[in-house]
Amino acid sequence: MLDKSNPAVAAYLRMDIENLPEDKPEEKNTGLLRKPSSAKSSGLDLNNPAVRVGKQMQVIRKYRNEINGTSD
Amino acid sequence: MALLTDEPIFDRPIPGQSLTAELGGRPWQNPPQYSTIDEVMDFYMERMSSEEFMLQAIDILEMGVPVTTLANTIQMANVMEGVHTLDVSMLALPLIMEMLMLLGDSAKIEYDTGLEDKNPKTRDTLLTKLALQYQDVIDEADLAPNVDDDEEDTQEEVKEEPSGLMSRRD
Repeated sequence: MLDKSNPAVAAYLRMDIENLPEDKPEEKNTGLLRKPSSAKSSGLDLNNPAVRVGKQMQVIRKYRNEINGTSD
Repeated sequence: MALLTDEPIFDRPIPGQSLTAELGGRPWQNPPQYSTIDEVMDFYMERMSSEEFMLQAIDILEMGVPVTTLANTIQMANVMEGVHTLDVSMLALPLIMEMLMLLGDSAKIEYDTGLEDKNPKTRDTLLTKLALQYQDVIDEADLAPNVDDDEEDTQEEVKEEPSGLMSRRD
């Protein structure tokens, strides 16, 4: 039975790391006057602690998928 | 929070028990050891990567304890020890669960995540079993209306004689 009194269930299901935007590789600055790219440009607000947790979870999920052989 | 069970709970604190210790005398009433989510994540990653923790966690998961329950117990214990606050632990809960599932996957054991609702399946199975059990009875039953019985009922109508003292007699 799904234990709805356990906060872990809701916390995990609401994290929704599958739909977290992917990090784009940072572009190298070629000129002195070029505007440095920020993390916000990829749609990620890294000031949000939940996003940082989500990123960490994505890394662990990647390892899990590799172990289970379900990685793309 | 509403309780999902009607069974009495005997391990609750008695009313006023929280006032029996001096304010600040409990670990959770003091500033936590780690105050930010980054520090807490590092704490858990380091602790859960230790061999001692891994062996214990795998044993517990193998016993059939759901990941959700185990993760909740771990965070609750650390809140009570004053390692971090309750609100930070709510943020760290999914990470603890993911880490526990990684341990389970790497140990190649079958574990219960605690995220699947098993009740509808069980109910379906029970209903199917019951339906199959009575299927033969339903098939054999003659559900056509019995006309003869109705006719007999109409014929057997009996005139009722008045029985009261004030009733008119013929």
